[in-house]
Amino acid sequence: MTDPLLPADELIDGHTLDELSDYLAAGRTPADPAIDDSPECRAALTALERLGRATRDLLDEEAAAAPADDDWVGRILTGIRLDVQSGRRIPIVHPDPAADLALTEGAVRALVRSVGDGIDGVLVGRCRLDGDVETPGAPIAVHLEISVRYGASMANAADEVRAAVIGELGRHAELTIASVDVVVTDVRESRAGRDGR
Amino acid sequence: MSDLWDAADDTLAGRAADGDTVAFEVLVRRHGPLMRAYAARMLGSTYESDDVVQETFVTAWRRLGELQEGAAVRSWLMRILSRRCIDRIRARHEHDDVTELDAPTPDREEPSRVAEARTATEALGRALDRLPPLQKRCWVLREVGQYSYDDIARELDVPVSTVRGQLARGRRKLLDEMEEWR
Repeated sequence: MTDPLLPADELIDGHTLDELSDYLAAGRTPADPAIDDSPECRAALTALERLGRATRDLLDEEAAAAPADDDWVGRILTGIRLDVQSGRRIPIVHPDPAADLALTEGAVRALVRSVGDGIDGVLVGRCRLDGDVETPGAPIAVHLEISVRYGASMANAADEVRAAVIGELGRHAELTIASVDVVVTDVRESRAGRDGR
Repeated sequence: MSDLWDAADDTLAGRAADGDTVAFEVLVRRHGPLMRAYAARMLGSTYESDDVVQETFVTAWRRLGELQEGAAVRSWLMRILSRRCIDRIRARHEHDDVTELDAPTPDREEPSRVAEARTATEALGRALDRLPPLQKRCWVLREVGQYSYDDIARELDVPVSTVRGQLARGRRKLLDEMEEWR
């Protein structure tokens, strides 16, 4: 089938460059022996692969040559700080019934992060509070994801985070913590070691 | 911040979704430079590309809670960015006349400087700059943005046959120029 819009393309052992490019994009499946067994087609596939890789390498090189400068990053951060999502309102019981005090869910998550980050080698990732936090005394399940530094004990880290979070949330947020699940989602090495940079 | 620098995208995206601006800053510094390079190729102007990357991060910040797989944050950012670039391109109405797009483009007058390039990526960069804008955009969307032909056609609002033709021509020219460089 010839498409009148396509440029006249000399055939490569019976195949157009366009067909070969589609074949490459499909991961060379289903395997087509007419292509795989042809040295000309294989050479063209290699050239196409090299071209795709060079395109991605080009952008990576341009990116590496122009790291984000502080002014530019600063402008983005100024834009987003005005727009911090604070989540649900968590009431705090006060002896004076006229006092209407509350914490935001965002503040509780920030507290959980600072408590978890305080454990050696731990970084807290996502934190979810399940339950009716807007009703005082309702049981809350805390789900936490953590990243642990390579070499640290995952089980110990998770236990320490769990104990510290239960302690701090009870002390500061008056939440009834029914459970704290901690899942280790990442074991991190120094990025300097990983990237060779 | 040094510990956060070592954290995986998944951890950073989770924290940022929960409102941690410091984790978000690490994502901006880690992925921003590639996004700027990508936008500059798409739009042909660093002035405009810096703007779209900033808009992309502001949108991403608001919508991070919708991202299910934090590990996929980079391709998610690239999608938002591609969409933003395309909005700008569509606003310029450059690709409105499809019959003109499908006509063969005359070769550029100025001599190619591809042969003088020292590295393969430098040669490719020069070859890419010589492509007509739509060919270059289709190529970048396909090879770096990982867009399908149908997606490119839908986003740029041109027929799929046009996208296929543009990519075929662009690919041929890039291959020829790279062949000469070697």
